[in-house]
Formats: sequence, C-alpha cells, structure tokens
Amino acid sequence: MIGYYISLALRSLRGTPILSALMIAAIAVGVGASMTVLTVNYMTSKNPLVDKDDQLYAVQLDGWDPNEAYNRGAKGNQMPWQLTYRDATALLRSDIPKRQVAMHKFGFTVSVDDAEVRPFVAVTRVTTRDFFALFDAPFQYGGTWEKSADESPKQVVVLSQATNEKLFGDKNSVGEVIQLNGEAFTVIGVLKEWNPSPKVYDLNNGHFQDSEELYIPFGLHRKFEIHSWGNNNGWNSDIAKGLTGYEAHLHSESVWIQYWVELENGAQKREYEEFLANHIRQQKEQGRFQRPLKFALSRPSEWLVMNEVLDHDSRVLAWCALAFLLVCVVNAIALLLAKFLRKAPEAGVRRALGASRQSIFVQHLMESSCIGVLGGIAGIGLALLGLTGVRVLAGGGFDRVAHMDWAMVFAAIGLAIVASLLAGLYPAWRISQTNPSIYLKTQ
Amino acid sequence: MLKMHNIRKSYRTDTIETHALRDFSLEVNEGEFVSVTGPSGSGKTTFLNIAGLLETPTGGEYLLDGQEVGNLSDRERSRMRNEKIGFIFQGFNLIPDLNLFDNIDVPLRYRGFNGKERRRRIERALEQVGLSARAKHLPAQLSGGQQQRVAIARALAGEPRFLLADEPTGNLDSLMARQVMELLEFINEWGTTIVMVTHDPDLARRAQRNIQIVDGQVSDLRQSIAQQEIATA
Ligand SMILES: Nc1ncnc2c1ncn2[C@@H]1O[C@H](COP(=O)(O)OP(=O)(O)OP(=O)(O)O)[C@@H](O)[C@H]1O
Ligand SMILES: [Mg+2]
Repeated sequence: MIGYYISLALRSLRGTPILSALMIAAIAVGVGASMTVLTVNYMTSKNPLVDKDDQLYAVQLDGWDPNEAYNRGAKGNQMPWQLTYRDATALLRSDIPKRQVAMHKFGFTVSVDDAEVRPFVAVTRVTTRDFFALFDAPFQYGGTWEKSADESPKQVVVLSQATNEKLFGDKNSVGEVIQLNGEAFTVIGVLKEWNPSPKVYDLNNGHFQDSEELYIPFGLHRKFEIHSWGNNNGWNSDIAKGLTGYEAHLHSESVWIQYWVELENGAQKREYEEFLANHIRQQKEQGRFQRPLKFALSRPSEWLVMNEVLDHDSRVLAWCALAFLLVCVVNAIALLLAKFLRKAPEAGVRRALGASRQSIFVQHLMESSCIGVLGGIAGIGLALLGLTGVRVLAGGGFDRVAHMDWAMVFAAIGLAIVASLLAGLYPAWRISQTNPSIYLKTQ
Repeated sequence: MLKMHNIRKSYRTDTIETHALRDFSLEVNEGEFVSVTGPSGSGKTTFLNIAGLLETPTGGEYLLDGQEVGNLSDRERSRMRNEKIGFIFQGFNLIPDLNLFDNIDVPLRYRGFNGKERRRRIERALEQVGLSARAKHLPAQLSGGQQQRVAIARALAGEPRFLLADEPTGNLDSLMARQVMELLEFINEWGTTIVMVTHDPDLARRAQRNIQIVDGQVSDLRQSIAQQEIATA
C-alpha cells in the first residue's frame, strides 16, 4: 500500500509542477540554510579527544606578573595558556603521569636529494616522544624516537602522511635521510592520515589548522636555537642573571611551551596535583611565582570551552537558522493545505470506494514526505553551496570545518522529512476529516 | 439485504435545521432492482448516502446484509463499503488524472488484492462495459456515456452485492441513458441488488419496484406514480 501511495504522490507532484517546485523549494531553502549553520556548528563543537576526555589534561601554571593577572581570552582562567621552557623541562622530570608531552610549533625548510622535489617550508612540531601515543596519532611506518632524544639532540624526524607522499610517494621511507635547514635528519616514522579538528592539542594559532607536516624531538632546542613559531608571551623583560642570547630565552619568563599529561585515575591525578603545587612552592623560594599559588589541569572538553572554540554566536545563529526553517515549514503548510483541499473531491471518491479516513491521511502524509525527501536532497545541495560560501568568505581558516560528513547528510534528510511531515500533518488531517458526500453530488 | 427502520437525518446549520429524512423505513431484498423517485430536495441522495455508509443517520436502525451498522468504526464502515457496495454518481466522479485502468484499480487497491488479481478484474470489468481498447485513456478523452460506463466498471470490479446509483443517467442523452440502463439491468440479472435514484419515469418503471420519497419519507408508490403520470400528461 505504501508503494501505491508513493506512486500516487509522485503522480500528484507531477500534476502540479509549479506548486510542487515551490513546496520543495520552501523545504530545501529552510533545510539548506539551517544545515549550513548547523554543520559549521557541529564540526566546531566536536571534541576529537572525546575517548580520552577523562585521562588527558592540559597543564597551566600561574607564574605570571605579580601585579596583574593574565587576562587574554574571555573564558580563560586568568592563567597563561602555555608554560615557560624552564617549567616545562622541570615538569618533564616527574614520573607520575603515564604519558606527558611538552611541545610547540616550529618550521623547517625541507629538501631531499631528489631534483624533482623542490625545497619547501614545512610546519613542524617540536615535541617529546609521547605525543603520538598521548593524542592517538597512528603510525603507518616506524614509530617515535627514544626517550634520550627528548633531552639531548638526535636528528630524527617523523613525517606526516602528506609529507611522506610528497617526498617519497607514500613508500616506506623509514631510514631515508632528509635535509632540514640543511642538516641531515633520519626518518624514523611516518604517520597515517591524521588531522584532529578542532586542533585541541594546540589552539594557539587558529582552532582548525591542519596538523603539522613534521615532528622532531624536544632535545634539539639548543642545537638549532629553536624559537616558537606559535604564540610567545612574556611579562618580565629582565634578562636572567648572567645569561645572554638563546640561553637567556630558555630561562626567561616567556611562555611558549604547550604541556599535556595523561593521568590514569583519580589517585594519579591527586598525586600529580601535589607535585605541581610542590613545584610552585620550590619556585617561590627562588623568587619566581609571586602570585597566589595556582595551577590548572583541564580536560580536552573544558579546554575547548575555555579557548572559545565553542562559540556562543554560532549557537544563536543555529537557533536563527532553525527559526528560519520553521518559517519555511509554515509556508509549506499553507501550500500543502491549498493543494490538498483542491484535491478534496478525489479524496471523496476514494472514501466512497472504500478508503478509510486513515488511508486518506496516510496517503497525503506520504505525499508530503516525498516533498520532504526531494526538499532534503535539494537542501543538501544548497547547504554544500552555503558551506563553499563559508569557506570562500573565511579564506582558508574554515576549510576543515565547512564540509559535511555523512552524519550531517543523514541529519539533513532527516530534518527535511521531519519538517515536511510536520508541514503535512495538519493538511492531511484536514482532508481525511472532510465529509465525502458533499463532493460526490456533482462535478 | 437492506433494512431501514425509522431512520432520521437532519442537517443543522447556524440558524436552521433541515430534516432530510424522517421516520424513513424501507426494506430491499437480495437481487431486487429498486428505483427511487421524488421531487428535488426530498432526501433521495441523503437516503443513498446513508445506505452506502457515506453518512451516518441522526437516529433509527439500519441493517445492511443482516448487520447493524450504527456502531461500526470508520475503518469497518470503509471496509464494508469497499467489499459490499458499488457507487455510481450522476457526475461520474472519475479521478481526472488517472487513466481508466487506474481509476478502476482504486477500490481494488483498498481491497488489498495482488497485482495479478487486480489486472484480471480490471480487464474483465472494462470488457463488460465495452471499453477494453481505451484502458490507457484519461476520463476527459471519453464521452459522457463512456465515462459513466467506466464508473460502472469501477463499481463492478470489486463484485459488490449492492449497487447504489444516484441519477446515473442524469447527465446523458436518451440513447446513452438507455445503454447505461441496459447495462444495469444486465448486472441485476446476474444477481446484484440495485437501488437507483432517477428523475426519468420511463426508467423508473423499468425497475421491478419503484418507491417515491416525498419530504423525507417513503410515500405510497402506486398513488405517486399515478400522480406523476397525470402531471406529465
Ligand atoms: N450537507 C448538507 N447540509 C445541509 N443540508 C443538506 C445537506 N445535504 C442535503 N441537505 C438538505 O437535505 C435535503 C435533502 O437533500 P438531498 O440531496 O437528499 O435531496 P435529493 O432528493 O437528492 O434532491 P435532488 O433530486 O435535487 O438531488 C435538502 O433540503 C437539502 O437542502
Ligand atoms: Mg440528489
């Protein structure tokens, strides 16, 4: 019977092409607009580390200016987002966390002995070895470096999947040598395609940037005098006593190292909190950390909120989009009502020939669902167009966000069907309740 | 087959109440061909609509095929209508955007027959009314008489025991009207009970029995036919 209703619905839609097109357009525009906004909203509010949300923590220490709290970021906790190099290296000495990562962004000029590959600048992450395991970055070939490379220089490198593709055409390049700023580095690992979005582990330079192209050990700082390519904030311009040049930078109060720990349970977390408090107390004795004792361990979900990845504006926009969809649905109701009532005589005949009220109701509801499915498909088209618009307007910063995944495609069709069923409910009920006899007298 | 006792039907609008039928009692036996005449507005169509379960009476008893239909649900009434009753209307009431085949298909769909059975019945019904060659035509492509024959085919396809016709020839010229009448007589001979409302005394007389409705009630029939003959003379 459902098949019969669908064929009747399609015939009826073909019978009034303009009216049908208007109804489909009403649903499509509503769905397209709301899906554009909802997709951006959904993709920006994803937490790629949700599986480890109760084990990973971003570490903050308040060693900021005694006269003035750190106040960048409206939803922040008035502590610097990053650590100083001194504190990071001190924390690395703890063996409480299961894993811990100190890291920042950098860049190298890459060249190989292959004349066909021109030298290029690659965004690089300088990090300790646990990075890959802690953030679940999967290896295609090889693996991470050994622990000693986090303290003393070792010229090894892990490539992203894309970089390996570019340099070695996707083959297993472990053992190959590449030049970074003219120095030889040995490839020890290649990642699989990996691009968490938003980029929770480093939200300092744009929330939706791609992951890095290269990864090198933390122990290389002094040898290459590595500065951060990301944010670098300071409050105290006093040069540490007797130090000059790069060594002064490493001992300054500038914050530029991101720090994450993986703690397995509550006990481990409490132990680590005690460790952090002790570290601050020790530093106070040396004249640092003049503010009240304060530190923070934030889960990825909290970190996203504090960094305003979950944007309030986009929520308001999402509600506006849904309200707009509602307007479109009301429009569709009016059009459907007009159309169904015009077909009331036919419904009267069907009733006389044995259709129950219920079958008339279902028949007309099927007709509005067909409009919903067609409107949904057209709506996805419009949403894709809208998202392209968002990408163009945002000029690159939104590339990773402004695209639909399958969940959103199904959501769009679902939304369209729900919208059109809602729109069809009243008109279908109206026509199913009409008394057939008044339509049967004459034509 | 049909038994009505003291049926009442009144329509209430804002200000006035119309008594379309009152104390209406009638019995129609299995296999009969009954014609119904009466002045305009006397309640003939109202009677057919109640008989055909399209409307519910305000009061009284109605037994169709021995079953009291007063307390049936909409679904049960629809099912009875579908299985036992065929309708023919003055205005044909074919569905304009369905071809003949699909028009006749409508009651069979609600009956739940499979595709093969539906096709068999549709083809036979079209054959009975002599329109097999036009199965793919739309109603608008046929003459009025042909359209009414399609409507009869549609009513027959479900093999109803009871055929209700409301002025089936009202929109047809006399030749067409005679053809339709012959078709109905033929159907009746095969056992279908027919109740037909008509304004045409000649056609009314061809039925086995004629009843007249005046002012919502069955009036004495011999007298009324006599009166009509005086009036038309
Ligand atoms: N839906 C309705 N609402 C109000 N009054 C109605 C309705 N249907 C019929 N009537 C009234 O009921 C009475 C009987 O109407 P009905 O249609 O049964 O007459 P009829 O005998 O079929 O007339 P005709 O020969 O003109 O078709 C009329 O007075 C009519 O105005
Ligand atoms: Mg009438």
